[in-house]
Amino acid sequence: MNSLPNFEWVQVAYALLTLFIVINYGMVMTAVVRKIGARVGGRYGIPVWQNYIDLAKNIALRSKITHGVMFYLGPVFRLTGGVGLLLFVPTIYGSEWHQNFSYAGDLILALYFIFFGTLGMALGAGESGHPHSAIGVSRGLSQVTMAELPLALGVYALSLQYQTLDITEIVAAQQGSIFNWTVFTNPLATVAAMVAFVGTMMRSPFDVVIAPQEIPIGPPTEYHSSYLALMQTNRVLFPVAKTVIYMNLFFGGATSWAEFAIKVFCLYMVSVVIGVVHPRFRVEQSIRFFLKWGLPIGVLAILTV
Amino acid sequence: MTLVQISLATGFALIFLGLYGALSNRNILRMIVSFTIASTGVNLVLVAVGYLPGREAPILDTIPVASAAERITDPVPQALVLTAIVIGLGVTALMLAYAYRLFRARGSLDISDFTELKW
Amino acid sequence: MVNPLLILAAGLGAAFLLGLLRETSERAAFHTTVGALAVMAFVALSWTVALASGQTDPVEMLTAGAKPPFAINLRTGIAEAALTSVVTLTGLLSAFFMRRDLLRLGRRAMAVLLVLIMALSGLIMTRDLFNMFVFLELIVIATAGLVLLSKDTRALAAGFKYLVVSQVISILLLIGIIFTYHANGSLNIDDISEVPMGANGASLAMFLVLIALILELKPFPANGWALDIYESAHPGFSAIFSAASGSAALFAVYKVLAMAGPDWALLAAGIGIVTFVGANLLALAQTHDRRLLGYSSVGQIGLILLVIGFADRLGDSFLYIAGGLLVSHAIAKAGLFWLSGMVKARDLSDWAALRENPVLVVLFAVFIAMLTGLPPFPAFYAKWSFVHVLATDGAYSLMAVFLIAALIEATVLFRWFGMALKRSSGHSLHISLTGEAIALIAAALAIAVSWVWGNLSGQENLITLVPLLFALLFLPLDILPARIKNVLAIAGLVFWFAVTKNGLDPLRYVFLIIMVLGGAILLLASFHATGRRMGFYTPALLMFAGMGLLVTSETSFQFFAAWEFLTVGSYFLILRGQDSEPHALSYITFSLGGAFALLAGFAIAANGAPTFPIENLSEVPSRIAPYVFVLLAAGFLTKTAVMGLHIWLPGAHAEAETDVSPMVSGILLKAGLFGLFVLLMEMGRQELFGVDLTIVLVWLGALSAFIGAVLSAFQEDAKRLLAYSSISQMGYAVFGLALMNHLGWLLALMFAINHFVYKSMLFLAVGGVKERTHTKLMYKMGGLITLMPFTFVSVLVGIIAMSGVPPLSGFGGRWIFYNAIMSTDLRLPMILIFMAGPVGFLYLFRLIHTIFLGQLKDELRLTKEAPFWILLPQMLFVGFLLSFAILPGMILRRVDSYIGTLFGDTPLVWTGKIVDSQYGTWNPVAIWGVIATVFVVVFILLIWMNHNAQKVKQFNIVFSAERPFKPQTTHFAWNFFAPYRKAMGFLETPVATSFWSGVSNMLHGTADFTRKLYTGNGQTYAVQLLFFVIAVYLIAMGGLS
Repeated sequence: MNSLPNFEWVQVAYALLTLFIVINYGMVMTAVVRKIGARVGGRYGIPVWQNYIDLAKNIALRSKITHGVMFYLGPVFRLTGGVGLLLFVPTIYGSEWHQNFSYAGDLILALYFIFFGTLGMALGAGESGHPHSAIGVSRGLSQVTMAELPLALGVYALSLQYQTLDITEIVAAQQGSIFNWTVFTNPLATVAAMVAFVGTMMRSPFDVVIAPQEIPIGPPTEYHSSYLALMQTNRVLFPVAKTVIYMNLFFGGATSWAEFAIKVFCLYMVSVVIGVVHPRFRVEQSIRFFLKWGLPIGVLAILTV
Repeated sequence: MTLVQISLATGFALIFLGLYGALSNRNILRMIVSFTIASTGVNLVLVAVGYLPGREAPILDTIPVASAAERITDPVPQALVLTAIVIGLGVTALMLAYAYRLFRARGSLDISDFTELKW
Repeated sequence: MVNPLLILAAGLGAAFLLGLLRETSERAAFHTTVGALAVMAFVALSWTVALASGQTDPVEMLTAGAKPPFAINLRTGIAEAALTSVVTLTGLLSAFFMRRDLLRLGRRAMAVLLVLIMALSGLIMTRDLFNMFVFLELIVIATAGLVLLSKDTRALAAGFKYLVVSQVISILLLIGIIFTYHANGSLNIDDISEVPMGANGASLAMFLVLIALILELKPFPANGWALDIYESAHPGFSAIFSAASGSAALFAVYKVLAMAGPDWALLAAGIGIVTFVGANLLALAQTHDRRLLGYSSVGQIGLILLVIGFADRLGDSFLYIAGGLLVSHAIAKAGLFWLSGMVKARDLSDWAALRENPVLVVLFAVFIAMLTGLPPFPAFYAKWSFVHVLATDGAYSLMAVFLIAALIEATVLFRWFGMALKRSSGHSLHISLTGEAIALIAAALAIAVSWVWGNLSGQENLITLVPLLFALLFLPLDILPARIKNVLAIAGLVFWFAVTKNGLDPLRYVFLIIMVLGGAILLLASFHATGRRMGFYTPALLMFAGMGLLVTSETSFQFFAAWEFLTVGSYFLILRGQDSEPHALSYITFSLGGAFALLAGFAIAANGAPTFPIENLSEVPSRIAPYVFVLLAAGFLTKTAVMGLHIWLPGAHAEAETDVSPMVSGILLKAGLFGLFVLLMEMGRQELFGVDLTIVLVWLGALSAFIGAVLSAFQEDAKRLLAYSSISQMGYAVFGLALMNHLGWLLALMFAINHFVYKSMLFLAVGGVKERTHTKLMYKMGGLITLMPFTFVSVLVGIIAMSGVPPLSGFGGRWIFYNAIMSTDLRLPMILIFMAGPVGFLYLFRLIHTIFLGQLKDELRLTKEAPFWILLPQMLFVGFLLSFAILPGMILRRVDSYIGTLFGDTPLVWTGKIVDSQYGTWNPVAIWGVIATVFVVVFILLIWMNHNAQKVKQFNIVFSAERPFKPQTTHFAWNFFAPYRKAMGFLETPVATSFWSGVSNMLHGTADFTRKLYTGNGQTYAVQLLFFVIAVYLIAMGGLS
């Protein structure tokens, strides 16, 4: 095991614990967010355990079909992407338990691994042969080409600022005072990255990819039963995992689960709040939006760092 | 004007006359005649350039060999003229043969009728 | 040794003897003619050999028992002997070639032929001005006579125009001669040259002599008459007219120029370059084969006239250069005219008939290559030396003009070759064994003179290079079945790798692996081909030979020759594709353009040094270094298809055959990258006008990476998609190199390796699909995953690797990329690279989705998996990619430490299998471990929950409660990224294509307009001639005074 010098079996247990906490947190948090949204709109909303109900229902579904191997593997890729992303990033700063497997790589690993699940699921959805799936993928990929750009620029600015790609070191550099957070030391990079954040959270105005309200369009069109259960799990896990990265990079990370919970919730709410007050963009509109706003801010960020 | 200058002037006049005629007449036969005039002009120029006043023709039968160098004109241009005349004759003959065959082929002697090959 | 005068005597004697024969005994007459020509050729050749080997000294021959200037004298030196050999051999071979027509016309025609050859030889040997005139007039008369050999009635008119013009010329010549005599008192060339001639009255005389002889060379634009003869005369005679008459007239001009003194050299050079440019330009608009050859002859002779104008400056190398050009021109042009005699119809595309006989196609290729100055032919050495001299003299603009015109010439010729190989002809071949044998002899002579020139070059003799010979070996072997040849080819490549690998630095070693061993792996796919597959192995091995030699080259000459080999080989390979004619043409045009840029760069860098080791690039004086850098970089960037110079790539790579595409994409592009490596390694950063050129390269690389990716996403054709993706990938590599730091270079190398592997794999996969579905259009496919599972796997692995998603090896490239950009001060170009990254997903997903996923089409239901041999290399590559992803150190570590010695740093620390940089960590084993574990666990979970999922049929989808109508309308594939196109479609504006087609149209338009000058009227031609003389005189006097 000389290639894995830091590996101990107990880390598996720690990682599973992190995973367990994050999934449950995500389950509850997303439900709470939906409930808040409903209350704001004057409706009663779902119970906070609704996600668990959906999960159980989907797993229990008896009619299960498959369109082929890739279709079958799609959700596996998807969830692996979410779990892996979480595990490649330290969750709680300073906690030995929740460093996960972050020694496998650095920020770049996390950034590129984001695409693992997306790609896999797109392939699975593709095999279903449903045109709506393909249309969803086409929209999603088109949009992400520009949506990720401000993030890439922000991250570049940030890593230049801290002269490292190591997430733990970036978090460490932000400790001490709230004014050490990147959001204060490098607001431009933060704003750029947050544009990308809003753009990739699959919420309005950037949610034409899955178009959740109306026609059953988007990559998950053909998925049901346990496939959908895996994807649902990912849908609560993945945004949290991604938010963790933002939290670590721009908002000082978290030294405890409480801090974690608050920061992730607040960050998550950014996209929610923007989402409820803005109508949806078409894909080309959102691309132009990112070109017009995200790109210049990102460019300013890398030039001024 | 000396004799040399007169012949030179005549020679060049013939050359230009011939060239003008060859380039302004469309009739092939007229062109050939013009070229003959021009060659005559050239030959005249050749002789004129080689001519030394007061000397005799370089024919050693009538002039003693010992004093030949002082009494004859330069023989080289004379030889050149002879050769040029022969060659001119050959070329003229060939052109006439061509003219004949061109007329046989097309029934025309107008040079501007033979322009299928171009560009 | 017999007296060289025997050449003249034999010709004249036989001609008289023919007159004694009976009218009816044509055969005897023919044998006499041929016998006389053979004797003449033998004498000439024996003198050439004897003089060349130093056994005899040049000989002066006196006539009429007197010494010059009182009698005519002749001389036979090495140049005279060689040229008479050319003349007499051309005459001999052409006599055989024209046998039927000579027999038809009888002994008179044969006598005229003899007189022509005799007169040409005389013109070469004589040292007397007036004698020259006599021989010239004999040539005129004989030429006008032999024009009539043609059955084409238009030849009559051509002959007459020729006579008209000749009359004018002879008037000029005679006047010039007599006044020269008047001024110098001698007609002997050697006497005259002893008297210095200033710009006095005699200069007009000298001018007239000179211009009259130059007019015999058919200078542009006073040459319409000659073109008409080329077009209409018998091809056997045209061969003489071009090869023999041209050579003799050139030598006459050379003699007179030497006599006239250096003041006049510029005049010859000027007319030469104008003719070379004008003729080649006008040839662009030609569709008639023989007229095209006529233009080409005029151009070549103009080029040699240019060299003659530089004779003083060239000194000892003059004969080598002018001779190389002349002998190449003579053999190639005569060969082409002879070939044209076997083609019945006169359009360029009618040469397609040659395909009936593969030997003739090879001959055609040989002659074209020889004419274009490709290695290993003499003109290659000649051009190399000539450009070096021009560069040393600082005649940069002349060099540029020369190279551009040479490029146009090559384009014209290769366009013709492409037509012959790809078009169809309505006429069959005029089979003639004699003709074929004669052309074969010409090719054999070509090889012989190539050997001679190689030996004299002072460089490597290219024709004795083992890889080249190995490639040529496959010409005779072409009768064997393809599989046997394939075994041989693979064995050859592996052997060459084993022989050359020792002593290379790790960087070159990696490139050698990619180029030679990689070639062997790709050739596995060629086992799929059945039958003989004629004409595949020679070009393929020529290309690999070029690449093998490129990596091991040490001097600029070796490098450039190797570069030309691989360019030509790959051109022939690409041309094999079904619809590849225009694309192969644009490929060769751009490639040769790039090669000429290299030539110019090396020539400027060498600065007169006879051999220039590549590593001396680092010592080029800073005054010229930036220009050398720009030229070399332009050459290499053409090969890597940087944005702007990329338009040849998509078509060339997409239309090539299944196993050729991966070779030209996966391997060939690396040649450009290798060149850039070498360039940057030796020259480093250079500044031009205060701009750091490596920064320009960074921008170009980034732009290519981005635009290439965007264009790729918009393609409907799978192979085009991959081709544009190559532009993008090469952009990354160029970008990395130009960063000029350790990690940037490692990045570039990583891209070189990865791109080779996954692009080869993907091209093979797509090629396999095309073999089965017979289309490259992705929207016509769909749902092939179950029918072609192995192909699917290789595409899947390929796209994951290429997209840079962990855990496959592409991620390593991205990781190194981020570390590399952290250590540079450049910021802005990164934006383009960041934009390019995600766009990569677009085209990659499209590739796999529209082919393998979605709805299966009815007509493809019976599709089978790709053939075994096409799959085999793919599976090898899959295995490699997986292991390279886990253990990148097995290749990168050695290269990393080597690059470390270049930059003197160690940014990466390798502990076990972990790589640490100053900024972060890359632990491939751990990444694999985590991802694989999670994946397997989730997979088991899903199987546990969904093991009883029911497999449903194709149309069983949630489709608004209806069944889809048919797969064609349900498979979402065409214009897949419509939303992206709406937003970013403006990037598709074909700026580069418009620019280059604008250039092309402008050239064609100019050519088409200018050639109207040749009205076809003999009088107009004569007037043009006179105007030309007057114009040249005015310019010359302006220049002299």
